[in-house]
Amino acid sequence: MPANPQTPATGRTKTDWMGEAMQKRIARRYAAERRFKWMGLGAVALSSLFLAFLLVVMVGNGAKGFISTEATLTVDLPAATGSISPEQLTQPRLAATMASIDVRRIFDNAVQAQYGEDGARFFASTAWTALRDQLTENPNLVMSKTKVWLPTSSDIDRAAKDNSTPEAEADYATLRKAGEVRQTFNWRFLTGSDGTDPAQVGIWGALKGSLITMVVTLFLAFPVGVLAAVYLEEYASKNWLTDLIEVSINNLAAVPSIIFGLLGLAVFLQFFSMPRSAAIVGGLTLALMTMPVIVIAARNAIKAVPPSIREAAMGVGASPVQVVFHHVLPLAIPGIMTGTIIGMARALGETAPLLMIGMRAFTTTPPDGLTDPATVLPVQIFLWSDEVNRGFVEKTSAAIIVLLVFLLTMNAIAVYLRNRFETRW
Amino acid sequence: MLDNTATSSTNPKMSARDVKVFYGDKQAIKGVSIDIDMDNVVAFIGPSGCGKSTFLRTLNRMNDTIPIARVEGDITLDGENIYSSKMDVVQLRARVGMVFQKPNPFPKSIYDNVAYGARIHGLAPNKAELDQIVENSLVRAGLWNEVKDRLSDSGTALSGGQQQRLCIARAIAVDPEVILMDEPCSALDPIATAKIEELIHELRGRYAIVIVTHNMQQAARVSQKTAFFHLGTMVEYGDTSDIFTNPREERTRDYITGRYG
Repeated sequence: MPANPQTPATGRTKTDWMGEAMQKRIARRYAAERRFKWMGLGAVALSSLFLAFLLVVMVGNGAKGFISTEATLTVDLPAATGSISPEQLTQPRLAATMASIDVRRIFDNAVQAQYGEDGARFFASTAWTALRDQLTENPNLVMSKTKVWLPTSSDIDRAAKDNSTPEAEADYATLRKAGEVRQTFNWRFLTGSDGTDPAQVGIWGALKGSLITMVVTLFLAFPVGVLAAVYLEEYASKNWLTDLIEVSINNLAAVPSIIFGLLGLAVFLQFFSMPRSAAIVGGLTLALMTMPVIVIAARNAIKAVPPSIREAAMGVGASPVQVVFHHVLPLAIPGIMTGTIIGMARALGETAPLLMIGMRAFTTTPPDGLTDPATVLPVQIFLWSDEVNRGFVEKTSAAIIVLLVFLLTMNAIAVYLRNRFETRW
Repeated sequence: MLDNTATSSTNPKMSARDVKVFYGDKQAIKGVSIDIDMDNVVAFIGPSGCGKSTFLRTLNRMNDTIPIARVEGDITLDGENIYSSKMDVVQLRARVGMVFQKPNPFPKSIYDNVAYGARIHGLAPNKAELDQIVENSLVRAGLWNEVKDRLSDSGTALSGGQQQRLCIARAIAVDPEVILMDEPCSALDPIATAKIEELIHELRGRYAIVIVTHNMQQAARVSQKTAFFHLGTMVEYGDTSDIFTNPREERTRDYITGRYG
């Protein structure tokens, strides 16, 4: 150690900025900085890895859910229906003509003729409806012998995609000898609803249920949440009552979601006798759950508006309502929307409270209104993941992809709206 | 008492009698009486925390926004008590405009900043008249030539001095009777300050103007009457020339000669 000259005034040794001890301290500080940087980088890399893993697994499993297997069936319609004249296919008589055709029987006969006695097992149980739909779409098929593509059974579908049971593989081989097989995009998955046959199920019913439920949630939770936040921030006087309300709202935001399900069950179903499994009840229940999140986010956003803007508006004689709607809310909207996105994303992914109010119903048609029995995407995923049939595995993954795409779309729209509001101001 | 100095003018625009302001238990203003008339710019001077800004804010009831603040005494505008239940506080703030310490334009276009007050009070029946109000206000605030080509730009993009003049234009656009200025130049450089002071001269006579300032030279330059505040009381009120050259009170003399403050 070099001799440190004493400063007489303070009795303190003079700091040796260039000394060895100081250099060591500086080196330690830089080392700590580097360590911290690498730790942060590691955390980001780890989470990216998890995300990539999730996406790869989901897309790998789910992609097959969007593909369906079809096989050809040669149908000799003129022979089966007798002679139908072209006049019978023109407008006034078309409906009666189509009604007179027994598509189910024609399908059964054609399958037996082409694939043998129990050839029907190669096809989906609802394959004859696909034939009917094709006839309805193009009535002129009746006039000739045609080859149509029809969906295969779930076993054949799995055998065509990857390894399956030996029996299914044998069936698949038989099928390929007697007819042609192709893999095509599964529009039915995007347009259909739940069912018992995994090859025939669709996600549209659950997607529509989710959409309706989200709309109900948004239209209830957003205005009520924002108005509550405005009142609490701008109008309510500070006393024990508002303190109590504030604490209660914070607690509500932390309540487990299944409790909201029980609340919905008790209030909406039992007390108000609203229909079970309906999107409106789901929306109401999720709105209860989302509201506290929106209230908290909106209050923070309103608090963050600089008081000088409020004073400026009041200084030119704006009334309290004008101050709020002309100045405070426009400035707070981006923050409010961020909170709303978080709340809605949570509501979209919620399963537990909806099970409580019966939204796990087996619904084979998409809901047409607020009170129709409906299910939502996460509940559909939950139901399919519980199915015994192996064919539901890929459908579950495909449904997860649909849910994630829905979520990303919703968030993208919200972020776009938020940025637009931000640039306007 | 102080009343003999306070009631010097015969037909005051605003007058305050024995005004006391409390923040909870703490008394911030301890009985201030003052008259403000149309012809003179009144300056409030005094050390930090003496209550001059607090008193200014009682004149258009901006203190109402502070829940714990309580005002006692009478303040009248044209003989009408502004704290009576009949007084509409929204209209009061339109009649008694305010310019704040820190320039606080709305994050909107320059045009909308100026037009806002006229719009909410319905002062312009059509777009042409609103344009006229905006132009007149900006001209009177001495900002028109600098911004006439970019009225749709954001008000917050202007420089500090321009922002403050924009705020003055915004206050003028409502056509108030009184303009309160709370240290309007404390955030500005000397050139911008000079422009604001010049502007105050031009506005005098059309509006009753009260300005709070830290800067005694500024008070001497812009005002005809000066009130010296100290520890919540108004120590002395009189013609600016008298206050600065021949103050009656010891404390005023000490303050203006820089003994404390």
